Amino acid sequence: MADDPVQPQSRPALQLKSQKFREARQGDWRLLNAQLDKAERDGLGSFSVDELLNLPVLYRSAMSSLSMAQSISLDRNLITYLQSLCARAYVYVYGPQTRLKEVLSSFFVRAWPRGFRSLGLELALACVLFFGGALLGWLLCAQDATWYHFFLPGEGRSIGSSVEELRKTLGGNTENDPLSPFAVFLMGHNTQVAIMAFAFGIMFGLPTFALLIYNGIPLGAMLWLFASKGLGVEFAGWLSIHGTTELFAIVIAGACGLHIGRRLIFPGDVPRKESLMVAGRLTGTVMIGVAAMLTVAGCLEGFGRQMITDTWARFAIGGAMLTLWLIYFLLVGRERKHG
Amino acid sequence: MAKPAKRDLLSDAPYGEHGRIATQISTPEGVVLPFLNASFGERIGALLIDFLIMALIPLVLFIVWLILPMEAFEKDHKAAYSILQVLGLAVWFFVRSGYFIFFEMGPKAATPGKRALRLRVVAHDGGRLTPAAVFTRNALREVELYIPIGLILQGAGNSLLSMMAFLWALALILLPLFNKQHARLGDFLAGTRVIHMPKASLSYDLADLEGDRAIGLTFTPEQLAYGEMELQVLEQVLRERKPAVMRAVADKIKVRINWQAPRNPADMPTDEAFLRAYYGALRAWLEGKMLMGKRRKDKHAAALT
Repeated sequence: MADDPVQPQSRPALQLKSQKFREARQGDWRLLNAQLDKAERDGLGSFSVDELLNLPVLYRSAMSSLSMAQSISLDRNLITYLQSLCARAYVYVYGPQTRLKEVLSSFFVRAWPRGFRSLGLELALACVLFFGGALLGWLLCAQDATWYHFFLPGEGRSIGSSVEELRKTLGGNTENDPLSPFAVFLMGHNTQVAIMAFAFGIMFGLPTFALLIYNGIPLGAMLWLFASKGLGVEFAGWLSIHGTTELFAIVIAGACGLHIGRRLIFPGDVPRKESLMVAGRLTGTVMIGVAAMLTVAGCLEGFGRQMITDTWARFAIGGAMLTLWLIYFLLVGRERKHG
Repeated sequence: MAKPAKRDLLSDAPYGEHGRIATQISTPEGVVLPFLNASFGERIGALLIDFLIMALIPLVLFIVWLILPMEAFEKDHKAAYSILQVLGLAVWFFVRSGYFIFFEMGPKAATPGKRALRLRVVAHDGGRLTPAAVFTRNALREVELYIPIGLILQGAGNSLLSMMAFLWALALILLPLFNKQHARLGDFLAGTRVIHMPKASLSYDLADLEGDRAIGLTFTPEQLAYGEMELQVLEQVLRERKPAVMRAVADKIKVRINWQAPRNPADMPTDEAFLRAYYGALRAWLEGKMLMGKRRKDKHAAALT
C-alpha cells in the first residue's frame, strides 16, 4: 500500500472489514486446502499425529469463516472458494466410515438381524410364494409328467434317465478338484436372482411375486422326478447341504423386494418418497447380508457337497446351518430390556 | 459474458456456475453448504466411462487367456487350472455386480468414471453415506438398465416385448431430467444424490481503496445506485478482463450514475481503473450497510440510506 505522502505515516491503511478478515484467516484456508489434497492423494495414513489433530480444527475454522464471510463479505470469489473448500472438507470429515472393524460389528451384531426381524410379514409371504411354487411344480409333474420338460427344458436329468444315472449326479466329485468353477458360476447366478428379486420390488413388487414362484417350480419338479425314482431322500440331502442357506437367502431377498413394493403402495403416514427411502435403506442392509449368505452357500456347495457324500451327513450339515441362521436372526442384537 | 440477459441465472448460480441448481445441506455446525447437483450429461458421461472400463477388463483377461498356452497348462496342473478358472469367474462376477458398489463404498465415494468428471455420491440429507445406501442404489441398476437391455436383446424377434422393454429403459434413463436434483430411481430409493465438486481457487481481492484514492476517483452515495447482484457481475467482468466488455459496462455505468468526466483528457481513467474504483466504492458502501443489517439485493430494490 503506497501511503499518501500528505497524510501522517501512522494512519492505518484504508481497508474494508472483509479484507482484514480475509488477511487474518486465509493462511488457515490454504493450509486446509493443502491437507485435503494430501488426504485425497495419499490417505490419512500419511498424516503425522499433529496434522491429524489439527485437521478438525482447520475444518471448523473454515466453517466458521464461511459463516462469517457470508454475513460480512460481498467478494464472490472469496465466498465461492470457501464454499467449495468447506464442501470438500465436509464430505471428507463426514464421509463413509473407514474403520472396518466397527462397520462389521455394527452390521452383523445389530443392523442385519434387526433389519431381518422387521420384515416379518414379507418373509412369511415370500416363503409361501417360493414353496408354493415348489408344491405347484411337484403337483403339476405328478399329474402329467410332460410338464417336467416344460419346466426344465434341456436338463440332463430327465424323465428318461435311469435310477443309476440320477444317483450318479448326486455323488461327490470324482476328480478331486478343490473347488469346481461351476459352483462359482452358480453362486454368481444365485446372487443375480437375489438382486433381481430385490430390485423388482420397485415395480410394485409384482415381478418379485412371479420370480419367487418361477424359481420354486423347477425345485418341486426335480424333487418329484427323484422321488418318483425312489431317490427322494438322497436328493433332499444333496440339496439341503447348501440349499438351506441358499434358498433362505433367496427367500429373504424376495421379502426385501416385497417390502419395497408394500411401502410403495402403502406409504403410511409419510410421503411416498420418504417411505421408499426408508424401505430402501432397510432392505439394502438386509441385502448385503444376503450376499454374505450366498457366499457361504457357494462355499458349502463347492467344498461340502463334493467332499461329503453321505446323505445323512449332508442333512446334518444343512440342518445345522438352518438352525444357526434361525438362532442368529431371531436372537442376536435384541435390545436389552431395562428394569 | 456478464450481460443483463443472464442476470436472473447469475443471481442463483452457486459457485458462479450458470444454470446449475444446488442442494442446500445444513451441516452439524449449522452452516448451510450448497452442493451442486451433477447434471444429466455428466452422469451419462460418467456411466459411459464406467461401462467402457467394465467392458475392457474381461476383454483384456480374455486376450491374455488366448495368448497364454492354456491347453498344455491344463494337462499338467489340473488343480491350478481350475483355481485359475475360479479366479476368472470371480473377476467376471465382480465386474458384473460389484464394480459400482466397491468403488462407491471407498473414501472417494465415486467410481473411476465419476472421479473423472469430479462427481461423488452423498447422502441426500448430508448425513453419512452408508454401505446399505450404496448397495441399494446400485442394485436398482438391475431394473433400470440391465434387465431391460437384456430383454431388448432377447426379444429381437418379438417386437412387442422389445418395444416395451425399450420404453421402460428409456423412461428410467430419462427420469433424472424430470427432477431438480437429477436423481435416478436408485437414488430415490437409497436416499442418495450425485453431486459435482468444483475446485475453486482463491484469487486476489479486487477492492484496493488506497490505490483508488490515489487516482482521486470518488463517488457519492447517490451514484452507488446498484445492489449486490450487480456488484458480483462487476466482479466477474473485472476478473475476466475483456476490454470490449469492460468498455461496454463502464459506459453503461457512467450514463446511469451521471458521471462527470474530468476536463483534462489526460486525467481520464482507463475503463479498468474506473470500474475497479467503482467496484471498491460500491463494495465498501454495501458492506458497510450490510454490517448494520441493511442489504440491497439488486438495482431494483429500494436504495440504502
